[in-house]
Amino acid sequence: MQGNLTALLITGIIVLGVVLIGFISGRDKTNRSSVEEWSVGGRRFGTLLVWFLVGADLYTAYTFLGLTSTAYTGGSLAFFAIPYTIIAYFISYFFLPKLWKFSKNHKITTLADYAKVRFNSKFLSFLIAVVGVLMLIPYIDLQLAGIQDTLTVAGTGFINVKVVVIISFLLVALFTFFSGIKGPTYTAVIKDILVWVIMLFLVVNLPIIHFGSWGAMIDKVATDSPQLLTIPASGPKGIPWFLTASLVSGLALFMWAHAATGVFTAKSADALRKNAIFLPLYNIVLILLIFLGFVAFHVLPEGTNPRFALLNLIQVSYGGVVQGLAYSTIALASLIPCSIMAIGASNLFANNIYRDLINPKVQPAKLTLVTRCMVFVVIGLALVFGMVFPSALVSLQLLGVSGMVQIFPAIVFSLFWKNQTKEATIGGLIVGLVVTFTVYATGKSFGIYEGFWGLLANVIVTVVLNPLFVSRIKHNSILEQLFGKQQNLRKGA
Amino acid sequence: MGKKSIVVLLSIVPFILMLAAIPFVNQIHPIMFGLPFLAFWLFFGMLVTPLCTFAIYKLQKSERSAE
Repeated sequence: MQGNLTALLITGIIVLGVVLIGFISGRDKTNRSSVEEWSVGGRRFGTLLVWFLVGADLYTAYTFLGLTSTAYTGGSLAFFAIPYTIIAYFISYFFLPKLWKFSKNHKITTLADYAKVRFNSKFLSFLIAVVGVLMLIPYIDLQLAGIQDTLTVAGTGFINVKVVVIISFLLVALFTFFSGIKGPTYTAVIKDILVWVIMLFLVVNLPIIHFGSWGAMIDKVATDSPQLLTIPASGPKGIPWFLTASLVSGLALFMWAHAATGVFTAKSADALRKNAIFLPLYNIVLILLIFLGFVAFHVLPEGTNPRFALLNLIQVSYGGVVQGLAYSTIALASLIPCSIMAIGASNLFANNIYRDLINPKVQPAKLTLVTRCMVFVVIGLALVFGMVFPSALVSLQLLGVSGMVQIFPAIVFSLFWKNQTKEATIGGLIVGLVVTFTVYATGKSFGIYEGFWGLLANVIVTVVLNPLFVSRIKHNSILEQLFGKQQNLRKGA
Repeated sequence: MGKKSIVVLLSIVPFILMLAAIPFVNQIHPIMFGLPFLAFWLFFGMLVTPLCTFAIYKLQKSERSAE
């Protein structure tokens, strides 16, 4: 299919404009003065900025394109995104404030750092950093695929898509290197406003164009393709899959390095509590957007690549200006999260692999520079993997959530379980990862989400091993901060 | 009923709405507010959950002021 020049030009102009804002927002030199400034904005962001940032983090190009394509092929399975995020935000209310407070006191900027301080274990922190980076690079590649698909549909016949993808990612790496977290935060506000306006417009307008009204669209889908509107009761992906996928993804959400980065930018524990209340509002767009997958199912010719369901639907329905605005939204939803992901991964690399294991005596100024330079390594790796081994990435992408959730006991249990030992936690984490990979490789998941089996094994191993090592725990100021103080508080309250 | 048990109850509600109830609401009809029933239910849960969080937030406010 030939692209659309108007749409391509509008996308190009908006994306370049936003990249420029990304540079301008970091022009103040203090943004680069320390790891804490560069990666988490000195922890000065209020509720609203954190809301925009975490929203920008989580509602990515992959969310929009992936969910509509799942709806196009798998129908209501796509709705798992709703319980998943709702549960994630809800449970975040209970542990993020505590995690944040501890992290502020210890100048922590990554979850691996947290585990290092909490358990006094560089090995555990290294494991968490490796899992974090390993799972995040394929996730960056999903964003890469998002912008690549957008440019492919709009730009076929006009540009060399690969070259433009590489240039746009290098631009993102540059503005991230320069501005740190300020870059994606201020641009996230623009991206989120575009997402709300454009996606709501599409959700209202597309059913009218193709069916006359929203109600007529629902009637048509309910009569002609009822299988799209319910979850299959059994089969490889039925209700049990839907429930376990929702739960495990929900637990995993704030374990991602980019989500954690967003959390650490908050200026107070209360900002995070308020965010837990307001974040579910993002899903209003999401739940309606899934219906566009059903629209695509009825409108697009059979044999359309599901990957392009939303993009093709927009091009077929509009072309020109609206297509340009919609595509630039999707392009921004790919580039801005990418910047935050790069910050998260660079931080893990520089702090928990380079400083902790290779050069423990590194000066703060040098560490800051190393962290910033890692952005190019991370985005470079993502580009190389994405372009050279696209098929090898698919497994890692599918396993991303299942892999990330395995650090949940190390990060969240440990905030509430005083006697949790590092030995049991490490054992559980390793067993959890092995079980997840085994279930995935053998394909024997019995209709349950892979990560669920891994997490189950992880928790069992942690709980069973823990009593063996509990006598080794030395009571120290760290444990007192997490548990002692709080008990006194309770008595006082 | 003590404050603590209300908080515990409120903490269970989202899990019931979003997970336990799903097998029972997995149907198209009745179509409510233009949404098939499953989607309507999820929308409903999406609005109720923040209310639970907000209620817990308010209930725990006195505890936090001691921080």
